[in-house]
Amino acid sequence: MLKRNLIVILALLLTSVSFAQGKYYTKTGKISFYSKAPLEEIEGKNKTVTAVLDSKSGAMQFAVEMKGFEFQKQLMQQHFNENYVESDKYPKGEFKGAIVNNSEINYSKDGTYTAKVKGKLTIHGVTKDVESTGTLKINGGKIDAASTFNVLMSDYNIKIPAIVKDKVSNNIKITVDCDLEPLKG
Amino acid sequence: MKRTVTILLIVLILIVIGALIGYRMYTNKVPNYADQTPDLTVSTTELADAFNKDTAIASKRFMDKIVRVTGLVKSLDSSAVVLGDEGSLSDIVVGLDDRNLKGIQHLKAGDTAMLQGKFSGYSKASGDDLLASLGATIKIDYAGLKDRKTLTTIKK
Repeated sequence: MLKRNLIVILALLLTSVSFAQGKYYTKTGKISFYSKAPLEEIEGKNKTVTAVLDSKSGAMQFAVEMKGFEFQKQLMQQHFNENYVESDKYPKGEFKGAIVNNSEINYSKDGTYTAKVKGKLTIHGVTKDVESTGTLKINGGKIDAASTFNVLMSDYNIKIPAIVKDKVSNNIKITVDCDLEPLKG
Repeated sequence: MKRTVTILLIVLILIVIGALIGYRMYTNKVPNYADQTPDLTVSTTELADAFNKDTAIASKRFMDKIVRVTGLVKSLDSSAVVLGDEGSLSDIVVGLDDRNLKGIQHLKAGDTAMLQGKFSGYSKASGDDLLASLGATIKIDYAGLKDRKTLTTIKK
């Protein structure tokens, strides 16, 4: 009887450890970008971001459909897809990287942790190294991962036509907010 | 003299009309795709099967189209709904247009929902890619809820 109880306790413990050290994911993550220029503010939102975080290694990955960015103005939607990111040619945006201070994050203890992230961001067919600091809010086995960073359009070979140069800023602020859940199986 | 005035007037009128058309084009809002006639109406099973069968053909068929899809709500948050068959590795992820967020306030996991939006892509990672563990994902954005059946009404 005692042996059986012990096995059950051990099995339970192992499950909780494997959960705390497993992968976390979402398919409904949010990424928005914002550009402020003298004439106009441009904002695009994507609500269907796929993201995975492997808590064991700190490896993380984000994938987004460029056509899934939502705009208010039709002309902005059209310019973004046709002229800037050329979403027919380059349909996806992707980030592959890792939390470099992963050992400082205790995934089995609720709290807010600072995560330093390094990796490669691919937009418009161009891959660049990026670095950012974000927060991981761990609460009851779920993680709210958030970060804000800036990218330059020119780094990704996105050209701004001269006629709207004053209207569109080269500096784009990107905000990431993903509620990650444990990946079962 | 009179002719010059007439020409000037015509030019002025043309400039005003041009400016008005330009302004209208510039400020035009993205249409609410959920209110338009859908190009394609499918169930989540049909949609997932189409991509499992031939990704290239299905991508061509659905890309940029207004799709009306009906299926089981697996999960949701305040601005997106994940539809899919129980046990299926394919998820249909639907992002709601900001104008249509109110519509999903009462939606719950387990309900059957009919959503409509613009198809934006399909992805399925393989090999040792981290995303490979997530199965296939079909994405529809700029969407809105068209109809729903709660779990209890289905059981009746």
